Order: sequence, then structure tokens, then C-alpha cells
Amino acid sequence: MQKFFSNRKLVIVIIVLIISFGLMSVSVAIRNKKSTPPLIQQFGNDVAGAVDRVIAWPVNGLQGASNSVSDLLNTYQENQKLKKQVDQLAQAKVNAQTAQAENKQLRKELKLNKSLTSYTAVTANVLTRTPSSWMNQFVISKGATSGIKKNMPVMSQSGLIGRVVEVNQTNAKVELISNSSSSADKFAIQVTNKSGSTVNGIVTGYDKSSNLIEMGSVTSKTKIEKGDKVVTSGLGGVTPKGLYVGTVASVKQDDYGLASEIRITPAANLSDLTVVTVAVK
Amino acid sequence: MRYSRLRIIFPIGLFIALFLDGSLSNVFAGHLFKYPYSSVLHLVLLWIVFAIFLDDRDDLPVGLWAALAGLVFDWYYTGIFGVYLVALPLVVYISRQIKPWLDLNFLTMLMVYIINLTIVEAFVYVWYLIGKVITSNLADFAVYTLGPTIAVNLALFVILYYPVRQLYLKAS
Repeated sequence: MQKFFSNRKLVIVIIVLIISFGLMSVSVAIRNKKSTPPLIQQFGNDVAGAVDRVIAWPVNGLQGASNSVSDLLNTYQENQKLKKQVDQLAQAKVNAQTAQAENKQLRKELKLNKSLTSYTAVTANVLTRTPSSWMNQFVISKGATSGIKKNMPVMSQSGLIGRVVEVNQTNAKVELISNSSSSADKFAIQVTNKSGSTVNGIVTGYDKSSNLIEMGSVTSKTKIEKGDKVVTSGLGGVTPKGLYVGTVASVKQDDYGLASEIRITPAANLSDLTVVTVAVK
Repeated sequence: MRYSRLRIIFPIGLFIALFLDGSLSNVFAGHLFKYPYSSVLHLVLLWIVFAIFLDDRDDLPVGLWAALAGLVFDWYYTGIFGVYLVALPLVVYISRQIKPWLDLNFLTMLMVYIINLTIVEAFVYVWYLIGKVITSNLADFAVYTLGPTIAVNLALFVILYYPVRQLYLKAS
């Protein structure tokens, strides 16, 4: 035993491992409990973010250029398809505008200033993605100064993609919805079927092999079909109501046969993100 | 004084590599993290290994810079401290121990790089597992993470070996 501990290197190794483990435990605890990291950590992140902007800029520029080229190649077919959609869209837009105006008026009469659906959108660039297979996490270019808070939902142009997990002054870390770690916060969502009735539930997991969001423990007998729209329900937390999540892919009984599990095709492509929107409530 | 230029080039390159890791991971996310495989870019480690084995006189303070790069990595990318902060200097230490025993050429460096990649990935995996940051079993880690990671990074090694060696020959 005497000889064992007289070995200076071994003692150093053990001390380093203990310090390392201690640091990790403390930072995991802080991340799970506090709404913002300590000031010093925020400061470090802001400095790193500022340097990263300089290096990310040419890389993102190159990506933009290559995207433009591939867009150009598909232009003709896309144009044909879009022309068809435009006519319908004009109609829908007018409808939506009328409904929105009416909604505003009715709210005024009810003296209802803030409802579950109201939020302001903050648009941010994606600076970088964590180069690790363990965290589906990325850093965006807006932070607390733009009103972003922890747990706010993040969307790409087409739908919900994740939530804010760490807020610094000028940047924030976002965890993708595909991150299925046990500590991840669950979104409250609802499915609306063709006849207009809704089923409430939460996101319970993510199936990585088929890229589908899982909504488990649904006991409602309301008939849900493939293609029904899924949006956030706005119940609990800071998520506003009505953010588009995706469409129903399949409904099946869960393993115990008591409740059903709904699988949802996410509207957003989780692996091609350059600009995202944070819904600030 | 002969080494003054490398003393400036090395840390700048290190931090460019650090931020490129993240940027490139985002740009090529669709290819690198295609289920079930996930290949992690390790340009930082590549730069460190080059510095250790191409710098003949062991004049660069690689260990210190590696610790700093590890700290920034933990700080900025993961928010969980003490993981890369220890893993990167550990690799530097091990490589320095191995170096006198090796006849240095392209192939031996490639082998050392594979070992280093494995050490870092395994260290991070075990640490996150103990810290309950992740839940994943060992077989999945070996097949779906370690394998693709080594493949991608070896390709980068082969591409970057000669340019970086030229840089070290000219700068020193």
C-alpha cells in the first residue's frame, strides 16, 4: 500500500480524474436546475461565439453557394409545382387575413390581450453544431438580449425542431427534438382529425431509425388517421399554441395494449438547418 | 528563436480547427449523422497529433494548448465541463510517451492517430455514461460511433498529412 501511494504519477492521475468528474457533475446539475448558466460561463460562451462567427461565416457562405447551385438545377420543376400552389395560396391568405382581423376584433371586445397563440418570432442563424455523437445540439446567434429564455421552442421554416437549453447574452444552445435523453423536456402537442376533434398528449420519444416523433400513452378513443395535422397545444411551459409539428404517420397500440401510440412525421428536416426561429412568448 | 513562427501558427490553427469542427458538423450534418451512424469530426485532435509528431524538438507547449482547447470545447459546445478538458491533454501525454519508441513515418503516425481517436471517444463515452448524460450500450458505441468516426478522420488525415508536413518543414 505504501508503495502504491508513493507513486507520484498515480496520485496525480487520480486527482485529475476526481477534479474532472467533479466539474462534470456540477455542470450537469447546473444545466438541469438553473434557468441560466453562471455569469462566467455566459461570458465564455459569448467570447467563443464571437470568434466562431468569424470562422463560421465563410463556411456558411460556401454552404449557401452550393445550395444556390443545387436550387438552380431544380428551378424548372419547382417552378411548375409552385405555380399550381400559388393560386390556392392567395385564396388561403385572404381567408387567413380576414379571420385574423376578426379574431383581433373579437379579442378586443372580450378584453383578451394575450392568448395561448400569441408570440413574437425571433430569427437567428445557426452558428455551429456540437461535434459529438452524444448531443444533438447546436448554437444559434441570438441570446438573452433578444428575449430568449430557457425551454422556448425553436422552429425551422417548416416546423418545430427543438428547444432552448442554455441561454447566454448573445447566443443560445438548442437541443433537437430528436434528442431522446431522459432529462429532455417534453412538448405538449395535440392532434386534430378531419372532423375537428382534438387529442392532447406529449412528445414521449423519437424513433431515430425511421425519423418519427412518438406520442405515447394516448387513451382517447377519438379516431386519428394518417395525415392528420399535429400542432403544439400550448398547455404548460412557455410553448405557445399552434406551432406546426408535423403530420400523423401511423397509429398503433402500445406494447401493453392499453393505450395507443401515435407516430408523427416531423415537418422540418432536422439535418439541414441554417436559419431558425425562436417563438418568444 | 528558430521556432517562433510555429509558436504562433500552432495555437491559431488549433482554434480554427476547433471551430471548423462545429461548423463543418453543421454543414454536413445530413451525411455525418445519418442514422444509425454518427461520425464525429476531430480536426482538433488531428492538429494536436501533427504538432506532437512533426515538431522534432518537442518545443511547442502542446499539452497546455490542448487543455485550453478542451476547456473551450466543453464550454462552448457541450456545456459539460471536465471531459475534453482532460481527454485532450491525456492524449498529448500518451503520445509524448510513445514518440521515442517509434520510427516516425506516415503509417506509424496513422496508427497512433487511430489509437488516440479511440482513447478520446472512449473516454468521452465512459465519462458521459457515468455522468448520466447519455444512455447507450457499448456495442452501439463501437459499431455506430467509433467505427464511422475513425473512418472519416483517417480520410482527413490522409488528405491533410502532406500539406501540414510541408508547413512544419517550412516554418521550423
